[in-house]
Amino acid sequence: MRRKHLRVLGSFLLTAGVAELGPAPVLAQDAPVRGGTLVVAISADPGHLNPAITTSGATHAAAELLYNGLLGQDERGNPIPELAERWQVEQGGAVYRFRLRDGVKWHDGAPFTAADVKFTFEEILLKFHARTKASLGGPLAGIDTPDDRSIVFRFKQPYAPLLSQLDATEAPILARHVYEGKDPQTNPANTNPVGTGPFKLAAYKKGAEIRLARNPGYFKAGLPYPDELVMRIIPDASTQVLALENGEVDFLWGVPGPYLSRVKADARFRTAQTGYNPGGSNCIMTVSFNLDRPILKEVRLRRALAHATDRQPFLAQILFGEGKVAAAPISSEIPSAHAAGLALPRFDRGEAERLLDAVGWKREGDGARVARGVPGVTDGTRLALDFVHFPAFAKYGELIRQQWGAAGVAVTQRPLEPAVFAPAVFKERNFDTNVISYCNGPDPEIGVRRMYHSSQIGPAPFTNAAAYRNPTVDALFDEASRTVEGDKRSRLYRQIQEIVVQELPYYWLVETLSTRAWSARCGGFKPGSGLFAEDAFCKR
Amino acid sequence: MQAVSSRYLARHLAQLLPTIAALILLTFCLIHLAPGDPVIALGGEHGDAGYYAFIRARFGLDRPLPVQLLAYARNVLGGDLGVSYVHGRPVASLIAERLPATLLLMSTALLLSSAAGVALGLLAAHRAHRPADLLLRSAALLGYATPSFWLAQVAVLALAIGTGLFPVQGMTDARQAATGLRHAADVLHHLALPALVLAANELALTTRLVRTGLLEALGTDYVRTARAKGLPEGRVARHALRNVLLPVVTVIGGRVGMLCSGAVLVEAVFAWPGLGQLLLSSLLARDYPALLGMFLLVSLAVVLANLATDLVYGWLDPRIRYE
Repeated sequence: MRRKHLRVLGSFLLTAGVAELGPAPVLAQDAPVRGGTLVVAISADPGHLNPAITTSGATHAAAELLYNGLLGQDERGNPIPELAERWQVEQGGAVYRFRLRDGVKWHDGAPFTAADVKFTFEEILLKFHARTKASLGGPLAGIDTPDDRSIVFRFKQPYAPLLSQLDATEAPILARHVYEGKDPQTNPANTNPVGTGPFKLAAYKKGAEIRLARNPGYFKAGLPYPDELVMRIIPDASTQVLALENGEVDFLWGVPGPYLSRVKADARFRTAQTGYNPGGSNCIMTVSFNLDRPILKEVRLRRALAHATDRQPFLAQILFGEGKVAAAPISSEIPSAHAAGLALPRFDRGEAERLLDAVGWKREGDGARVARGVPGVTDGTRLALDFVHFPAFAKYGELIRQQWGAAGVAVTQRPLEPAVFAPAVFKERNFDTNVISYCNGPDPEIGVRRMYHSSQIGPAPFTNAAAYRNPTVDALFDEASRTVEGDKRSRLYRQIQEIVVQELPYYWLVETLSTRAWSARCGGFKPGSGLFAEDAFCKR
Repeated sequence: MQAVSSRYLARHLAQLLPTIAALILLTFCLIHLAPGDPVIALGGEHGDAGYYAFIRARFGLDRPLPVQLLAYARNVLGGDLGVSYVHGRPVASLIAERLPATLLLMSTALLLSSAAGVALGLLAAHRAHRPADLLLRSAALLGYATPSFWLAQVAVLALAIGTGLFPVQGMTDARQAATGLRHAADVLHHLALPALVLAANELALTTRLVRTGLLEALGTDYVRTARAKGLPEGRVARHALRNVLLPVVTVIGGRVGMLCSGAVLVEAVFAWPGLGQLLLSSLLARDYPALLGMFLLVSLAVVLANLATDLVYGWLDPRIRYE
């Protein structure tokens, strides 16, 4: 039973796809070198180093090396042991039983036990970690600790995605003796953390750098290799690249598009692309149609807009090739849920024009389209839509304006900062169309369901922006979340994608990837993991 | 300094109180009038409605705005700037941690631009309408017109990447934690480029002001009289310079605010760990307490700089008396 479930779950679990680029592969063939200082650039001062109380990318990028999850994920996304050395899936996925490693110690020397896991989930993650709370909070019935090395998760009904939600990104484990009885958001340990991870904090110079020292008692014998790892805070992405070129840092989480070709062509560096990011993985830039707006309820109009959209320029001009044109509503970085071979509307301006004419939006003398017999719209009304986006996504807006404009649709760009965008779109629903980087996460249950399920229509941000309602799709998502068998679950997600491609509440533009870059003197990085430097080393 | 009476000083310091109150009210209203919601920045993008309501209540963001304003004003007048949403720590300590780096950057830039600006202005006036003057005037015009963020990028490419002489980021070398004199030398090495870039704009302005003022002063009757009395040219210039410095001091004092805004950009480009970086990240996260604390600090700095300008004025010009 256990072996079977492991196999089916393993086959379903996600691939944090990592593609190596650059003149030569990682120096994996070289023997790792001990000692030295590894310098990593991060974009922001995280403020604190507690990854269990936030999903902020800044905190997770800086802090995950201090902690561990119960499980990790291998390069194909299959669960691998971390703090738990083995596990068992029972009652068709309604009970998960974990056996913890023996002899694991916190950085302060205290022993790690099952009580730490129970406390972290119940008192921290299920209250403060947005993704874990939103996904596990409802289905979870309870957590038991039969003994110090055993932990059991009981669900109200079978819950499929648990094993992909237990790494240091989704569920880092904190020390109960450090956090119990204190406010987890103001606990001094947030800036002086006590974890189990490969590194422990040496110094936190606010706004400047975070210095980590090798944890000599790390439970993975021999790791990590460097004596010291410095997270240097460099907010400007261009400065990060220049610092890499100047030899001041060894590793970058991302390379801005204009610098990509330069860095990739430079023999001093290695690069790798990944869909993983500490703040949100496997993201697709997606156009949402506000289905509360009467004219956008017409599926032929939405199909016309999709046909009017040429997605290749988005990939080439905005992402500089860092990604791929979306082939399905679910990311191809989740191969077991991604439905290959779907017939998404292809770029065909003639078809777009034909559909717009058929709906009643006719071209007038100046080329603009006006209503001529559109139900519920006064004749002569111009076809004009607004397009809301983050300022950082302005180029998406410009391309949409040009491309839809060529089909006679007037588009007004409305750039809104993230903190303004969310209430405008999800609470006030004040938009016609928008573009959002929807991150699918490690499992569709976490980042895809919230886009389509009717229970996810506002006011929470980055949920169902289209206000899409389809009882069949709702039922399929509910069934998929209970289905542990990989093949069956894949079929359910395929059905969902076939329906939404027909109904087009969204149009999926491009999947985005990040490019990690590091000095060729270094090796052993895991670009698709929060424990990215657990095996890393540098030659000096 | 005798020109300033203690009554004048006391009156002006007393005026600080209503100024602070007005600043608190204005900045609080402005920051809340601006669109945006800190809850998204705090909670991330994947929470449910209950989670965001929970976060809002924890930070007191669910209370009516007047109640939040009253609580904030009471705390500030009691010396408490509140707790940062993002950092979970007192704003005062966040500011105190980063203030030294910003003060070092700004004071170096101010010193550099004032000293070099006066010297170059003197040189340009002395060589008026000759090639050296033309060169200095052109350079000053260019320096004044160049945005600091662009100049910063050029400086990095030309002087750091191009020559390897300077580091491109940070305040110290990440790989070698030095102490004592070596640490001071390391900081100076990292300070050079950002301070030069921040100083460029002010340097250009000061050079032009000193040159113009000096040329004007050298044509006045009292200078002609001094020369007729046989005073050496150096002393004549010193007399004239004292009068020229009046508008220069006014400009320098009035531009503390500009220097602060320049520091924000320069700190971002050079990853200088000062208040500028904190201001930028707090703005993006809508970290209201941190933002209000820094706005208050910068506003106070501008007010105090203007007061200091008044005092220096009295010292430079004996005819001025403050009662």
